[in-house]
Amino acid sequence: MGAYVLRRVLIMLLLLLLLSFAVFVLFSLLPADVARLTCGKICTDQTIELNRIRLGLDKSVFEQYWLFLSAIFVGRTYGVGEGAVVCEAPCLGWSFTKSEPVLELILDRLPTTIFLALGAFVLFLIGGVLLGIYSALRRGGWQDKAITGVALVGYSLPSFFFGLVVIYFVIIRWQILPFPRYEHPWDDPVQFVQTMILPWLVLAILYAAFYTRLTRSQMLETLGDDYIRTARAKGLPERTVIGKHALRAGLTPIVTAAGLDLAGLLGGAIILEAIFSLPGLGSLAISSVTNPDQSILVGVTLITATFVIIANLVVDILYAYIDPRVRAS
Amino acid sequence: MIRVRRGAAIAATAVIASLVLAACGGSDGGTAEEGAAAEGTAESAPAEESAEAGGAGQPGGTLTILTSAEQFLTLDPQVVYTGEDLAFLGATIQRSLTAYQVAEGDVEGTTLVPDMATDTGTASEGGKVWSFTLRDGITWEDGAPVTCADVAYGTSRQFDIGLAEGGPVYAVTYLDIPTNEDGSSQYLGPVDGTGQDLFDKAVTCSDDNKTITFMLNQPVPDFNYSVTLGFSPVPAGMVTGEEYANKPMSNGPYKIQEYTKGPGGNLTLVRNENWSKDSDPYRLALPDSWVVNFGIEETVGEQRVMQSSGEDAYAMVQSLTTASLPVVFEDAQYESRRIDAFDAYTIYAAINTEKVPDEKVRQAIGVALDREALLLNAGGTFGGDYADGAVKPNIGIDYAPTGLWDDLLGAPVPPNGDPELAKKLLAEAGASDLTITLDYGQSEDNDKAAAIWVESLARAGITVKPNPIERGQYYGVVFDNPNEVMLGGWGADWPNASTVLPPLFVQGWNLSRVNDEAYAEKVKVASQELDRQKQAELWHELSKEAAKKMWIVPTRFGRDQRLAGTNVGPIFSWSAYGSYPYPNMYAVQ
Repeated sequence: MGAYVLRRVLIMLLLLLLLSFAVFVLFSLLPADVARLTCGKICTDQTIELNRIRLGLDKSVFEQYWLFLSAIFVGRTYGVGEGAVVCEAPCLGWSFTKSEPVLELILDRLPTTIFLALGAFVLFLIGGVLLGIYSALRRGGWQDKAITGVALVGYSLPSFFFGLVVIYFVIIRWQILPFPRYEHPWDDPVQFVQTMILPWLVLAILYAAFYTRLTRSQMLETLGDDYIRTARAKGLPERTVIGKHALRAGLTPIVTAAGLDLAGLLGGAIILEAIFSLPGLGSLAISSVTNPDQSILVGVTLITATFVIIANLVVDILYAYIDPRVRAS
Repeated sequence: MIRVRRGAAIAATAVIASLVLAACGGSDGGTAEEGAAAEGTAESAPAEESAEAGGAGQPGGTLTILTSAEQFLTLDPQVVYTGEDLAFLGATIQRSLTAYQVAEGDVEGTTLVPDMATDTGTASEGGKVWSFTLRDGITWEDGAPVTCADVAYGTSRQFDIGLAEGGPVYAVTYLDIPTNEDGSSQYLGPVDGTGQDLFDKAVTCSDDNKTITFMLNQPVPDFNYSVTLGFSPVPAGMVTGEEYANKPMSNGPYKIQEYTKGPGGNLTLVRNENWSKDSDPYRLALPDSWVVNFGIEETVGEQRVMQSSGEDAYAMVQSLTTASLPVVFEDAQYESRRIDAFDAYTIYAAINTEKVPDEKVRQAIGVALDREALLLNAGGTFGGDYADGAVKPNIGIDYAPTGLWDDLLGAPVPPNGDPELAKKLLAEAGASDLTITLDYGQSEDNDKAAAIWVESLARAGITVKPNPIERGQYYGVVFDNPNEVMLGGWGADWPNASTVLPPLFVQGWNLSRVNDEAYAEKVKVASQELDRQKQAELWHELSKEAAKKMWIVPTRFGRDQRLAGTNVGPIFSWSAYGSYPYPNMYAVQ
């Protein structure tokens, strides 16, 4: 098991390196003259050129990438003299539009995204799996039909529509909750819950629909297998049959999907963060597009991609735990 | 000179957004006093009257602005350059020497009145020297007096190339300070200090530190208008840097209590206890506080204001989405709290004269274009009116119909274009198989506009290749590598065509790359003309000439719409900025 994990971690690091290069090169190919965009208020050709040197844009893409990479470990100073800015290690770049290190900006927004993602993840995974099991056990009954129908609707709803409808009725029209204004839970726990409850529920309903359907189909498949019949014939309690045998066998695809969904959410639920005014990674990425800041975009893309890679690693390890045959392979 | 607002507030506003003051003058000479101003002390409407004209309200309460923007682009008085921000910050924390009367109507709302100064300025030497005297009792939020030296220091910051964001640079343009060969100033701002003696000669203070005098490098009849942009005071000698953009020192009726950027963030302004009403007859300053909530999704914001429940009755949005317009403007319940008015911008397509040097070819492009479809694409009557030139009607006396689409090109051109006339013009120019590339900032609306360009010009045998450019990068790209045609927009910095025609066709925002020395000379003459009426006539001719030469294809005079809660007043578009009348707004108690 240890060798397996080590192998996967090494592959992950290699992937991250390749990914960072791809992202860096990709963004450097954009037709934007960053030196002009950030040259200050009196922009002459001379000041643009000076700014180009200050930002290191006069160097080749490979040199720029090397500087970017080394800054993660040793930091970097942009420019010289009074106008120089120092980005301490680990430095993911400097945002000249916000005058802050990119990593600091990302870390500032990351807690919101993590809380949003984890809260929704717990809700939709538990809710979706339980409903899926229940639906499978009541196959053909009205409960099954009702759950399958609701899941289909939930699965089909676009998040921006559902989010807006919820805000309109719950906050604006019925005024059950105040309009969201994010506070960290350690600053104001009540405000935190009031703000997060709707986005959590919206995300949970949207995602749970998928897990309900997935779990139901997995369960139906395994419940018909011979070994389940054998387990029942041996007189095992139904809870053990369902929880230990049927569910575990159908868990693999659920774990895969959950890992990737969580990674995606950690990259920022862009639409819901915008609708609920949440200061997360998604809204940071959007603002960096509308108010162009390539450094932030590179940083957010890298962080998001890292989450996906890590999620894959975790999923792979869980596979090995759930199904010993994976370890052997 | 104006600059581009990037991103638009998340509100993703700003396709083109030049940031400017809305010059919404009337058609009958709302700026007639300027001629007198150039020769002596200007007459101006009493500030008290101007305040009352906005409608009386009750003091107290909190007014809230819901915006999808994540922050103000800047709070630095030398950098602020968007009409809405100038109006709001000018009403609350940043006073200037002169200001615009807060009143309904194009003429009244663009009339220059004194703010920190005792009058709208005294000109001498034919408009090359301007003086302003400060009122008594003006103070900073820490209680220190605002002096002439503070105004001079603020002005000097316009020369500071270290300020990260672009702002107005009329001090750089107009002050009598020598320039280098490349046109850059020999004064590099107060932080660098190079050339400080040159600045100190051009801007002087009286012995009592109350009167500031500006020596200009040319006669500028409307200099007292330009001091509304970037000439606000900053405590003399204060090391400001970029941090000042987040917490500037207030000299207005409010001060900053909290400024948190990002979704869920806010700017909260509370009363500045060191502000004295006696020193400020210009503002009513009725609410006890102002809150700007950032990162509110547009649809959510307008739904809250439409519903107007609880605290949202005191809220307002600065724009409406297309989907909401029919609801808001067809339902009588919103009648008293909605606004539909000209905004600051003329929407146009600039034709690159270096790539399309033949006037008839440019005219053919303009004639073939289906402007009717473009207007419908922009929201029909909500989107604006057909434009006939760069100068917009709400600028006041400087606008006169150019006749561009009537007879200027030899025949009337219908709004949906005249392909046959276009073909005739192309034949006269000897052009065939014409292919042009259309640069535009990519958005759903602009993609559709590009499709209209392709289809309508194809009728005249012109092939259009759309070139969508990521919006935030748009102007950076087209200034460096322009194709034949570029979509753009422009608004006047103040009610004078001197802030439209020179930047668009001589220097500044010359997307068309016009290099017409004769035209430039005529522009110079008009800019320095002291007789306001005569100046307006010169602008009329120059506007007509530009239209006929089709350096730009003017497509639309833009309009915008907004909505406020049931307990917000007064509700009208302040023509000076195309904004709410912030200085006189109140919360119904």
